Amino acid sequence: MAETAENVQVLICTGTGGLASGAQGVVEAFEAEFERQGVAAKIGSHCDVKKTGCRGLCANDVLVDVILPGQDAVTYDFVTPELVPQIVEQHMLGNEPVPKKVAGPYYDKFLEKQQRIIFSRCGIIDAESMDDFLANQGFTGIKKAVTMKPEDVIEEVKRSGLRGRGGGGFPTGVKWSFCKATPGDKKYLICNADEGDPGAFMDRSVLEGDPYGVIEGMMIAAYAIGCGFGYVYCRAEYPLAIKRLQMAIDTCYEKGILGKDCMGLGFDFDMRIKAGAGAFVCGEETALMASIEGERGMSRPRPPFPAVRGLWTYPTNINNVETFANVAYIFYHGADWFNSIGTEGTKGTKIFALTGKVKHTGLVEVPAGTTMKEVIYDVCGGIHNNRKFKAVQAGGPSGGCLPAEALDAEVDYDSLIKAGAMMGSGGLVVMDETTCMVDIARFFLNFTRVESCGKCIPCRIGLKIMLEILERITEGEGQEGDIEMLEDMAIDIKKSSLCGLGQTAPNPVLSTIRYFRNEYEAHIHEKECPSHACKPLLHYRVIEEKCKKCGLCPKVCPVDCISWEKGKVAYIDRDKCTECTSCYDACRFMAIE
Amino acid sequence: MVNLTIDGKQITVPKNATIYEAAKENGIDIPVLCYAKKLLPYGACRICLVEVEQMKGRLIPSCTTPVTEGMVVTTNSEEITKVRKTVLEFLLVNHVIECPICDKGGECDLQDLTYEYEVVTNRFEGEKFDLPTDEVNPLIERNMNRCVLCGKCVRVCDEIVGYGSYSFINRGFETKIATAFDRGLHCEFCGQCVSMCPVGALLPRPFKFKARPWQLKEVDSVCGYCGNGCTVTLGVLNNKVETIRFNDKIGVNDGNLCIRGRFGYSYVNSDERLAKPLVRKDDRLVEVDWDEALQAVADGFRAAQEGTGVGILSGGRLTNEELFLLKNLAKTIGTENLDHSGGECYKGVTEGLLETLGIQASTGTFPQIEQANVVLAIRNDFYDTHPVVGMVINQAVRRNNAQLLVVADKRGKLSKLPRAKTLLSGPGLELDVLNGLCQVLLDEGLAKTEDVAGVEQLKQSLAEFTPDQVAARTGVAADGLREAARQLAGAENAAIMLAYGLPYTGLSKELAVAAANLALLTGIAGREGSGLYLCGEKANSQGAIDLGILPGDKGMGAQAMLEAAGQGKLGALYVVGEDPVAAYPDRDKVEKALEQVPFLVVQDIFLSSTAAKADVVLPAASFAEKEGTFTNAERRIQRVRAGIPKPGQARTDGEIIGQLDNKLGGSLAFTGPAAIFAEIGKDTPAYAAFDYDQIGPQGMVWGGETLAPPTRKLGAAAAAPLVEGDYRLVTGSTLYHSGTTSTRAKGPLAVVPEAFVELGREDAGDLDIKDGDMVKISGNGVELKLKAKVDNRLPKGVLFAPYHFGESGVNRLYKGETAIPVSVSK
Repeated sequence: MAETAENVQVLICTGTGGLASGAQGVVEAFEAEFERQGVAAKIGSHCDVKKTGCRGLCANDVLVDVILPGQDAVTYDFVTPELVPQIVEQHMLGNEPVPKKVAGPYYDKFLEKQQRIIFSRCGIIDAESMDDFLANQGFTGIKKAVTMKPEDVIEEVKRSGLRGRGGGGFPTGVKWSFCKATPGDKKYLICNADEGDPGAFMDRSVLEGDPYGVIEGMMIAAYAIGCGFGYVYCRAEYPLAIKRLQMAIDTCYEKGILGKDCMGLGFDFDMRIKAGAGAFVCGEETALMASIEGERGMSRPRPPFPAVRGLWTYPTNINNVETFANVAYIFYHGADWFNSIGTEGTKGTKIFALTGKVKHTGLVEVPAGTTMKEVIYDVCGGIHNNRKFKAVQAGGPSGGCLPAEALDAEVDYDSLIKAGAMMGSGGLVVMDETTCMVDIARFFLNFTRVESCGKCIPCRIGLKIMLEILERITEGEGQEGDIEMLEDMAIDIKKSSLCGLGQTAPNPVLSTIRYFRNEYEAHIHEKECPSHACKPLLHYRVIEEKCKKCGLCPKVCPVDCISWEKGKVAYIDRDKCTECTSCYDACRFMAIE
Repeated sequence: MVNLTIDGKQITVPKNATIYEAAKENGIDIPVLCYAKKLLPYGACRICLVEVEQMKGRLIPSCTTPVTEGMVVTTNSEEITKVRKTVLEFLLVNHVIECPICDKGGECDLQDLTYEYEVVTNRFEGEKFDLPTDEVNPLIERNMNRCVLCGKCVRVCDEIVGYGSYSFINRGFETKIATAFDRGLHCEFCGQCVSMCPVGALLPRPFKFKARPWQLKEVDSVCGYCGNGCTVTLGVLNNKVETIRFNDKIGVNDGNLCIRGRFGYSYVNSDERLAKPLVRKDDRLVEVDWDEALQAVADGFRAAQEGTGVGILSGGRLTNEELFLLKNLAKTIGTENLDHSGGECYKGVTEGLLETLGIQASTGTFPQIEQANVVLAIRNDFYDTHPVVGMVINQAVRRNNAQLLVVADKRGKLSKLPRAKTLLSGPGLELDVLNGLCQVLLDEGLAKTEDVAGVEQLKQSLAEFTPDQVAARTGVAADGLREAARQLAGAENAAIMLAYGLPYTGLSKELAVAAANLALLTGIAGREGSGLYLCGEKANSQGAIDLGILPGDKGMGAQAMLEAAGQGKLGALYVVGEDPVAAYPDRDKVEKALEQVPFLVVQDIFLSSTAAKADVVLPAASFAEKEGTFTNAERRIQRVRAGIPKPGQARTDGEIIGQLDNKLGGSLAFTGPAAIFAEIGKDTPAYAAFDYDQIGPQGMVWGGETLAPPTRKLGAAAAAPLVEGDYRLVTGSTLYHSGTTSTRAKGPLAVVPEAFVELGREDAGDLDIKDGDMVKISGNGVELKLKAKVDNRLPKGVLFAPYHFGESGVNRLYKGETAIPVSVSK
C-alpha cells in the first residue's frame, strides 16, 4: 500500500467486518485525538481520516493504515479506540510507528500473492466519496466505452475473456450479445447482488467499498446492450451495501451521471436498488426477476431465457456484482491487459471469501490459476491452531469439497469442476480435522432444504429426504445402503430439478461421499464419528494418551462430573454426565472422544 | 413450422409449440401432472422430463421447452423412467393414501401415474402430511394433505379467473398452497381450482360421496343460465345430475365455468319441481292429467281469442326449436301478441343495433376478445352477468396486455384487473360517458367516418357532450374520457362489451345506439378481430331474437300486454318459462295484470310466484332434460342434450306447445330437434346454413366469426336522466345468480342466500349501518327491508340491490329506471 500524500492520511476499514469490530469507535477516536492534540497544527499538514471499504484481512479488523507525507503506509491491525492516542502520539507526532501494534509480516504475506484489481480502490478510497472515485480512474471506462460502437463494446468484453463471476462462468460478452440481439426498445439490466451462499461476502465488500465502480460497470453494459433501466437486486441483509450504493446512485443522479443523457454521453440509463426479502433462491435469475416483479420468488422455466423474455416480459441481461466491477477495469486498461491475466480458460482475477478453520479469514483476490494451496496456506496463513487440514468447500452449498490431495487444483472454472467442486461465487469454507464431513454435508443440505422455493418436487421433497438420511447417519442411526441411496437420489435430483438450486444442492453430499466415503462408513457401521464432531456419537471419555492434564475440562463442566487432580488424567463420571459437550468443546487437545 | 424427431417419428409442428404439445398432437403421450393446456408453462412437477439429443447431460421438461428445428427427442428410456419413478416416490412419501375414500379415486393423475410406473414400494420414508382440512365454505373442500403442489389452482385463479385466492406460502418442504392469511377459502366460488386439481386436494363438496367417477354418465350440454353458452358436462348417476364434470375439450369456455355453471345445477333435481299439470278449481290448484289441462288451456285461449285476445310471454331459456313452435302456436291461436324477457331490455339489439348497423346480434365471437388490445366494458356488471366472458377479458388483459376500460357507475371485478381504467360515473349515466367518448373521437379527428351515415346529425346531437360537460354531469374526469377515446381509436383490435337483461331495462336502446356509434366511429363494427358484443342475460336470449319471439306488426309487446291485461283488455296470458312477478320491473303492474287477466296459463319447472296465480300450470322440463339448440351471445348455435329424464309427468316445452297446438286444431308437433331445426332455416335464413347434425363440439356460428354490418348509420345521441337525491338505488345482477332460477339452486344459495342492499363504507358510516343490519329503503312509494352488505365497491350515495330474489320486492321499487331516488334508514 505504498501511497504518499501531502496530508497525513488515516485509512480505516469501515466495511461490515470493520464496523463489526468497532471501526466507528476508532474513527471517532482518531478525530477526537487529532482535535485534542491539535495534530494538524503541530505537524503542519492536514489530517484526513478516510472511511474505506474492506481491506481483506477481516480476521484482524480493525485495520488502520497510517500514511505520513512522503512515507509508505504503515498498517496496524486489531486497532481499538484505546490504542488511538498511542498511535497519534508516537507515530504521527513522534514519527515512530508503535511497535507490536503494527501488523506483523503475515500482512505482507497476505498481500504477496494477491493481485488486487477489483479491490484496488476498496480499502484505499473513501467509499462514499465520488471525488475519490474520480481521482482513481472513476468513470474513465464508460467515457472510453461510448467512443466505441455498442457492438464493439461487446466485442471488447468478449475479447477480454471475462466470464460471469456469479458462479456459472458464462462468457459475459456472449451473454450481452444475446440480449442485444433480441428485438425490442425496452430492455432491462440487472445486477445480481443477492449473495446468499453461506461464507461468501465478496459482492458485499465490493458494493460497500467501491459502489461507483459497480455503477460504472452497469453503465457500460447498459450502453452496449441498449438497456434503459437497471436494477441492483441486493439482499436486505446487506444494509451498509444498500446504504452506500443508494448514496452513490443519488449522487450520480445529482451530478447528471445517471438519468437522461448520462454525463452528456448521449445515452439514458436509470437505476434503482431492489432489496430482497431474504430468500436464497432469489439469487437464481428467474426467481430474482419474479421477486422484482413483486411475485413470490420462485424459479421459472428456461427457455425462454431472460435475454429473450425476462423482467416484465422484456429482454433482460443479468450479471453479478463482481462481473460488473470487472467490466469497468477492462475499459480502464483494455481487453488485452485483462486477457493477459489468468489461465487459458479463466481470465482476470477472482475474489474468494475464506471462512472456517483458516488463520486469516477474509477476502482475497488472486489471479486465476493460483492454486488452492497457495490461497489457503500462503495467502491466508494455513489452518487455525495449526491443526490438520481436511477439506475446503468451494462454491458454497452448490459446490463441492476438495480434500488435501486435490489442493493443487488451480482456481479456474474448469479445473475446479474437474476436481469435483466449482468456482461458484467464490466462497471457500476451510475445514480441519475436527470437522466431520457427513456433518458438513448435512449442514449444507439443511440450508438448501430450507431455502428451496418448494416449486419442483425433487428439490422440495428429495432434499428433505436426503437431509433426513444424513441426520440419521450423524445420529448413529445410519442404515446399510444409506450411502448408495444418497448417491442414487442425488443424481436423480440433480437431473430433474427445475433450477440451479436443486440441480446443485446434492453436490456437497456427492463430493463428500466421493472423497470421504470412509467417514460415512464409520458413522454407519461403527457408529463412530472419526472427527468427533457428531455429538450424538461422542462417548464422553478421556483419551489418556492425548490428555495433557491441563485441568480445563472440570472447570467448564456445569454438573461437576469431571474429576481431576493436578498432574493426573481427567475422568468423566458418565452417571452424572448430561452430554452437554462443554468439555469436548473446551479441550484444546482433542482428548475427549 | 418446425421439424423435429420424437421417438424416431419425424414430425412438423408450429414453431411456438412445446415438446409436450408436439408429441401429444402426434399421438405420443408424455405423462404430466402440473401441465394444463390453458395455463402458462410452469414446469414444477418434473414428470414430463424427456431426453433431447441437443441438450445432453440433463433431462428436459417437455411441457415448458419450445421445439427447435432438428431437435431429436426421446420420451421414454430407462433413465427417464427411473427419474419419473423417483419423483413419484418422493410425492408418495408424504401424500396421504386415501384412495378408497377420496372422491378423486379413479380419475386421479397421481393414482394413474403410480399405477403406470408401478411404484409398488417406496425406497424412502417420511411422515405423512397432517394438515387441517378447509371445510369452511359449503362448496369447495381443501384437503392439503393430498396436494402435490402443481400450482394449477393458484395459476387458474390468477391467470384465468383473475381473483387470486391462492398463493404458495412457506419455503422448502413446508411450502403449501394457502389463501390469504391461511384462512378458510372465501372467493367467488367458480370452482375453477377444483376442475384443475389433478388429485383430491380440491373437491366439490356437494359431490362428496355421491358417486365414483367411473359410475357417472357424462352428457355434454350447454349451461342453462346466461348467454355465454358454456359447455357443461353433466355427471349423471341414477337419473340424477350429481355434478358438473370438467371438460376443456369442447365448447367455447375451455372448461371454464362460473359458480352457476359449476355449482348451480341442483335445481334440476329439486323436490319442488312441478311433476303434474295443475288446474285451478275452487280457487285451488289441483293436479289433473295432461289431457284435461291442455283442454282447459285450449278452451281458455279460444274463448279469449274471440274476445280481447291472447298474449304470450316467453322466457329466454327455451330452445330454438321450442321457440319456433311457440311462434307457430301463436299463429294457430291467431295472435300477434308475442314477446319475451319483459319486452324492453333487449331493444338495444332489436332496435338499437338494427337501426345503426342493420343487424340484431354481436359482431364478433368470444375467442377474438382474448386478442383485443383494448376492451371497453360497459358496466362492471358485465362480469357478473357473463363471468366466463369476463375471464376471457381477464386473459386479454393479463396475457396480452390489453387495456381494459370500464364505463360504470360502480366498481367491481373488472375495475380491479391490472391497468384497468374505470370511468366512474354517477348512477345510470353510462350513456353520457359513451356519448362523451364519441364526441372526443369526432372532435379530435380520430373518428373513422368513411361510409358512415349520420355524422353531421350525430355531431349536432353531441354538442352537449364535450368532455367537460360530460365530466360535469357524470363526474368522470374529462382527461380520462379523452385518453380512453384515444386508446379505443388507436387499438388494432378492440372489443366493446354490453350486457342486457331484465334489471337493465332503462335506456336499453339508447345505450346500444351509443355503443354502436362508438363501434362505427372507431371502426370496430365489422372489423376482423374486433367486435361489439351485446350479450343477453339468458341462455337463449339471442335465439329468441333470431327466431323473432317479438310482437307482430299489429301485436302488443310484453309491457303493452301487461298494461292491457291490467285494464281488463286482454283475455288470456300464456307465460312460458318466465316469472314476471318475481323478475319483471314494476311488480305492481305485473300483479295487477295477472289479477285482472281472466285466464292465466303458466308453463314452468317450478310453481313460481307467477305460476301460483295461474289458472292452469303446465309442468315443463329443464335444460338438462331436453334436446335442441341454444344460440349464445356471440351467435354460436350449440347442442343441448338431455342427461336425465323429466320428473313425473313433466314434458318439454316443445312437446307441450305441440300438443297444445293440436288441441287448438293446429298441426304442429315436436318431431324432434333435427327436423324442427331444419324448419327454422326456412324462416330464419341465417340458420339455414347448417344441418342440426353438423353442429359439432364447437357449435356453429351463424354469420361468421365477424358479422359485417349491412348498415352503417350513426344514431342520434340521447342523454340519460340525471337522477337527483342523496341516495340513489340501482339494480342489476350479482355474480352468483342468474335470473330467478338460480335462487332454487343450492350452490349459488350457499353463497348468496337472500336479497341484500349493498352500500359503500362511507354511506354505511354516515348512516351507522353495519354489514348484516336490516335497512329500510323507501322510494317510488314503496318501502323495502333488506339486509345490508357493506363494502367499498359503491361510490357515495349509490346503493345496489340485485333483482334475483322476487320476495324481496326489489322489482316493486324498480320500474325500469336507470336509477331510483331512495331514502335509507336503519
